[in-house]
Amino acid sequence: MTDAAIDRVNRVAAFVVAVPAGALAVTAMVRSEPLTGSWYVVDRAAGVFLLVVAVVGLLSALASPSSLAGSGRGFFGTRRPRVSYYVALYLFWATLLTIPVVDNLAVAWLLIEATTAASALLVASSGRRSALEAGWKYLVLTTLGLAVALLGIVALYATIGGGSLASLDWASIRAAGPGLDRDAALFALVLILAGLATKIGWAPVHNWLPDAHSEAPPPVSALLSAALLPTVMLVAWRVQLALAPATGGAASGLFLAFGLASLAIAVPFLWQALPLKRLLAYSSLEHMGILALGMGFVHPLATAGVVLHVAGHALAKSLGFYAAIPVLRAEPSFSSQPARGLAARSPAAAAAVGVSLGSLSGLPPSPLFFSELLILLGGLAAGEPAVVIVAAVLLALGFLGLVHALIEGVVSDREPRLRRSHRSERRLGSLTIAVTVALLALSATAYALPDTELVRDLMEALA
Amino acid sequence: MSAAPMWALIGLGFGIVVVRRRTTAIALVAAQSLLLGALAVAEAADARTGLAIAAGALIARAIVLPLLLLRVVRVTREPRRVVERHALARLVGAVLAVVVAAPLVPAFGLERAGAGNAAFALVVLGIVIAAVRGPVVLQAVGFLVAENGVYLAGLAVAGGLPGAIELGLLFDLLVVLAVAAAFGSKIHEEFGSGDTGLLRGLRD
Repeated sequence: MTDAAIDRVNRVAAFVVAVPAGALAVTAMVRSEPLTGSWYVVDRAAGVFLLVVAVVGLLSALASPSSLAGSGRGFFGTRRPRVSYYVALYLFWATLLTIPVVDNLAVAWLLIEATTAASALLVASSGRRSALEAGWKYLVLTTLGLAVALLGIVALYATIGGGSLASLDWASIRAAGPGLDRDAALFALVLILAGLATKIGWAPVHNWLPDAHSEAPPPVSALLSAALLPTVMLVAWRVQLALAPATGGAASGLFLAFGLASLAIAVPFLWQALPLKRLLAYSSLEHMGILALGMGFVHPLATAGVVLHVAGHALAKSLGFYAAIPVLRAEPSFSSQPARGLAARSPAAAAAVGVSLGSLSGLPPSPLFFSELLILLGGLAAGEPAVVIVAAVLLALGFLGLVHALIEGVVSDREPRLRRSHRSERRLGSLTIAVTVALLALSATAYALPDTELVRDLMEALA
Repeated sequence: MSAAPMWALIGLGFGIVVVRRRTTAIALVAAQSLLLGALAVAEAADARTGLAIAAGALIARAIVLPLLLLRVVRVTREPRRVVERHALARLVGAVLAVVVAAPLVPAFGLERAGAGNAAFALVVLGIVIAAVRGPVVLQAVGFLVAENGVYLAGLAVAGGLPGAIELGLLFDLLVVLAVAAAFGSKIHEEFGSGDTGLLRGLRD
């Protein structure tokens, strides 16, 4: 089978996977009751994350042929490295699609661990020395972190009194909450959240994130940043909700601490002249920090902000990584140098990077401007003014840093035009238009979102 | 389960912190897994399904995974032994980490007194091993030590963990170690050594 035939199979498979997943997600978001089964629950929150994973996965699969063009044997070193890449990609994507809907903490952990194996191979798939380093660091840190989380799950299971696998269903954990020993429940909570934090990439256990996201192929970077991190965060959020009766506000405090630490670590790097993908990776650290704050405030406004932020971040971040594909193909040195003067070199890439960085910085009318505003207002309403002030200052600094990078990257210097194909320019241009429209549509929902059933469902679970 | 096996497990973990040879470290973690597996089989002796799962876990943890790591050692012969200094400092650091961490564990309903502390100590030891040892294979041994700590906690839960979870954990561990073995071979092929001290190219 030729590479072109393999790519055609990939394109068909991408729609075969994405369309049912997307349909399920939309169904869940419009139904008044969740879809439930013996091992799954597809509620509105799961629907949002499922839709994000489906869309980002589809786009990453469709962008993969361009990213793979001209690549050698790489890590897989087999006669069919392209087949190995797609197998790992679809295993990763399939696991990501399942995580939001499982109704059990232990099963969710198993699936998260499974994503580590597939994604570590994808991070290192180019076979470059830097990619091997990034993939190994990612594998070591996240495996050990998840071992800590697993110990917390065993501790929780023992504290509940064991019984069966169903004891670790979300509803069962919540029902058992009032009767749990508080110290034991708190111990389990801390271990689980600390362990999941390594996978989410919250500071101070984020060391793998900038390397893995910058060294992975762009479609994989998009999946890591826009789909994996928020999906694991959903599991952490569900743990917070499920253990709230037993631990009170302890989880909120942990989320706020992780959020501020992530913002504080990320913002200085947004001011540095970094290669595009590395800049986007540190931006992911910043945005996961924002989401942690939103989850920690436990207020309808902040919850609405989190939902909007997950969707907006996914679109904007993915576009930024996809824009890197034609740029890196034409100029491989861009992987280690800051991008400059893209407007003169590749107008389509400049437009895509402009929309991506502009949205990620929170520049209105980006949905991320509205989501960050909702989260901060939620924080004030929740009685956390000190946290909100510190976060606002950090967000303002981060905004300025990304705008600076945007100006330097897009309009600075007159550089020679990149060797590029008109077809890839057209595709990137079409994608940029589609993402821009989707971002504006998301912005339009910001006003009404706090009063929706989705946010009310999430808040009822916290009550 | 008495205290003696738990101390033996921790002692084997400390040994892995200081040994020089990769094969010795693999032998120590195999012995750790064998001890845990034997405890699991003894606990499950009167339940057929549990016995099958415990026996499978013993074979996988004590035989299959160490053999996988030994295979990596065989195909990644080091041109020179990876230089790791300060074995005593590593050991002191590991002891301090365990002494500080283990008492922090509250009672959380395990059937054996001290099992929670021992389990947490092993997880901490696994992290320390991965942090302070240079060779790729030894960092992978750190994964196994940490997972052995979780397995010990699972053994001490009243009624044990559900069989589906035990099998799932075992499968995940096999997959992750297989991926780690692939990385070990690839790193050695690319860098000429399995020393992770050479993986320092990515900096800001």
